[in-house]
Amino acid sequence: MDLDLTEEQQMVIDMTRGMLAEHSTTAIVRDMEDDPKGYPEALWKQMSELGLNGLLIPEAYGGGGQTLLEGAFVYEELGRAMAPTPHFVSCVMSAGVLLEAGSEDQKQAWLGSEDQKQAWLGRIANGDAILTPAWLEPQRGFGEAGIAISATADGYGFKLNCRKRLVAYASSAARLIVLARTKAGVDLFLVDPRAKGIQMQQLLSQGREAQYQIDFADVKVAAADRIGAPGSGWKTWHKVMLQGVTLLAAQAIGGAARCLEETVVYANQRVQFDKPLGAFQALAHYMADASTRIDGGRVLVHEAAWNHAQGRSIERFGPMAKLFCCETYRETTRVCAQIWGGVAFTIEYDQQMFFRRAKALQLSWWDGPYLEELIAKDVLDK
Amino acid sequence: MDFDFSPAEQAFADEVDAWLVENHDPVVMDHHRENFTQLSDTPERRAFMKKLAAKGWLGMSWPKEYGGKEIEGVYEYILNEALSKHAAPQIGKGVGIIGKTLIRHGSDKLKQEFLPKVLDADVEFAVGYSEPAAGSDAANMQLKAEKVEGGYLLNGQKMWTTSAHFADWYWVGARTDPDKPRHDGLSLFLIPMDHPGLEVQSLPTIGKDTTNQVFFENVFVPDEYLVGKRGRGFHMISEALDLERFTMFTLSPIANRTEVLVDWVKKAKRDDAPLKDDPNVRRTIAQIVTDTAVAKGLSTRFVCAAKSGGKPPTIESSQYKLFTTSLSQRVCKDALDIQGHEGTLMEGQEDAPILGRFEGAYRATMNETVGGGSSEIQKNIIARRHLGLPKNF
Ligand SMILES: Cc1cc2nc3c(=O)[nH]c(=O)nc-3n(C[C@H](O)[C@H](O)[C@H](O)COP(=O)(O)OP(=O)(O)OC[C@H]3O[C@@H](n4cnc5c(N)ncnc54)[C@H](O)[C@@H]3O)c2cc1C
Repeated sequence: MDLDLTEEQQMVIDMTRGMLAEHSTTAIVRDMEDDPKGYPEALWKQMSELGLNGLLIPEAYGGGGQTLLEGAFVYEELGRAMAPTPHFVSCVMSAGVLLEAGSEDQKQAWLGSEDQKQAWLGRIANGDAILTPAWLEPQRGFGEAGIAISATADGYGFKLNCRKRLVAYASSAARLIVLARTKAGVDLFLVDPRAKGIQMQQLLSQGREAQYQIDFADVKVAAADRIGAPGSGWKTWHKVMLQGVTLLAAQAIGGAARCLEETVVYANQRVQFDKPLGAFQALAHYMADASTRIDGGRVLVHEAAWNHAQGRSIERFGPMAKLFCCETYRETTRVCAQIWGGVAFTIEYDQQMFFRRAKALQLSWWDGPYLEELIAKDVLDK
Repeated sequence: MDFDFSPAEQAFADEVDAWLVENHDPVVMDHHRENFTQLSDTPERRAFMKKLAAKGWLGMSWPKEYGGKEIEGVYEYILNEALSKHAAPQIGKGVGIIGKTLIRHGSDKLKQEFLPKVLDADVEFAVGYSEPAAGSDAANMQLKAEKVEGGYLLNGQKMWTTSAHFADWYWVGARTDPDKPRHDGLSLFLIPMDHPGLEVQSLPTIGKDTTNQVFFENVFVPDEYLVGKRGRGFHMISEALDLERFTMFTLSPIANRTEVLVDWVKKAKRDDAPLKDDPNVRRTIAQIVTDTAVAKGLSTRFVCAAKSGGKPPTIESSQYKLFTTSLSQRVCKDALDIQGHEGTLMEGQEDAPILGRFEGAYRATMNETVGGGSSEIQKNIIARRHLGLPKNF
């Protein structure tokens, strides 16, 4: 049992933090809020050059072949810096889907998936192509039943008619990965966002990242653009999500840790009643509680990611990590805002950026109730 | 990074576990005593500790010259977690606080007299720090120890001396030098518990067990039974806490309660429907299981920090204790909420769910956020030493 980092792991952390200190300052993060593109080119280029975009992609496809544990270290840094990047949708979720599809049963796997991997993984890894999933639908939830839209057979392919929400960075996407229902079940399709019948509209939301509502009207998709075997889409998606939420949990810890650090500095400086705020026990105890949850949450994330790296199931650990860490981030930003007092409410101070992102992250990519049900299923129904 | 025990550690954990299964004895191992299971307070429990001693499992981390094996403290952690998982008595005060302090500061006489007895489980100690005016503020001990010819004369009172009604020896902090700054005026003594000047009064608790108050009337302690240097008492007490990180508040009883609750929920019915299908129950269980995993993470964190040597893992221990004790209470509360009106039935009553385990545990865990350094004291430590906030409380 040890929690030590290897030299290489520490290097990845230092390198990422150093790069983000330059390319994801809070001024840059502010600039990107509500921006239709939503990420700075310079940051994206740096991430590619440092190998972060390909971090989790196998070397055979032009990536770094690192495990989810290294991913977690990087995501904690991305969270600290509130880095506005399509990394998660493209390099984690989309690359993950392409990698995972058909990996279980090669015979069943649709033959084209190797071609899809060859076509996209290298370009995702070097930042040339951004892919993003089009998943959630209006008035529908995170579960399999949430995929209502149907892809109807149309000649040699399919025809999509639906509305998708919260499609992040869709304006820059080379391909969308659309979750849709066919006769076989849920399927995943690679769709060109410039295809005829697609309309995008940016919607503003709490985290202020670039995200879109997309309408599909009789959009034609070739059969060859289905990812994986027919009807295997939900299984693939779920497996990749387990990895995804583990990284988002790390991101939450990063955000919470930085928010708390800045609050501690402020609490040592700001004086009322002739004392620094930190000398008020009521406030100090908020911070002690937050630090305990942050340090505990971090170990949970690492344990989840480590288990995945060991080839063990994270069916329970992944959801536990996101559940706990997102609530920790949210609660930390709430008490920190309290400690800053009135200024936390102003746009000028950075606290509000953490405050909004924490809640948005908690509600995205599996929210609390969905995570709790996944955990309950694993604990009670097996 | 590695969340598994090393092969050697795992082998030891398996060995202890198998041995405990083999030596299972419902008289000794009683989950319903909750945190008091750690005490070796009955003839059966003392006999059990003798068996543990015969296995060579007491004082494993001690230096070889004192009969130890000089192996890593993590083995004592593994042992104590296993013991508490099985609701067996734990290695505690003798091997830990008292043994380690005697090894570092005790005279040859005290070492020779007590260390072999600790290793053979032939002695039980009571620890007397707390007093009416010295709870969280332990440095405020007022028990008077006046220097007299050949020794000290002790007068005053201790509170909360848990093992006083069955222990053989009393490990006591007292004020020898009232004129010195308060941290430098305390000294440690060893006193036979049957000393005629000691009066032990039981202080029943709402848990299953009792603690005590102890009154001192002209208790003469010979010079040889002063531990270490006069005036160093408080420093030795603090040092012992730092030395004794592996056998502190164990996680297993809480993990065990979570498991017991989950097993019960899986089978229980309400209005003929499976209770586990109730969305509120599912949600509560998910939260408890998650928080239990975090507590385990915080325990891994302090164990790893302690293993790495260097400075004592004060912060890690405080965070662990703060989080875990409040979780412990929450698990009991949630269990009763899930059980509803039947949850109020006490052990021994017909149809008490899980034999009344949580009705009792709800009471027994009430003190966990107070004893051994309260939650507020842990937060003070974290705020000052970890976050660097001003020292003002
Ligand atoms: C069942 C039981 C067994 C025990 N066994 C032993 C034993 O064997 N030997 C022994 O020596 N002691 C023992 N204790 C004593 C135990 O360690 C004390 O109860 C504990 O240290 C707290 O002291 P107190 O009860 O006097 O509470 P107090 O110190 O009076 O605290 C009351 C409240 O004030 C808060 N508080 C105190 N100081 C601060 C501060 N600076 N900042 C913020 N809040 C503060 C506390 O957190 C608590 O909430 C036992 C206690 C119990 C109940």
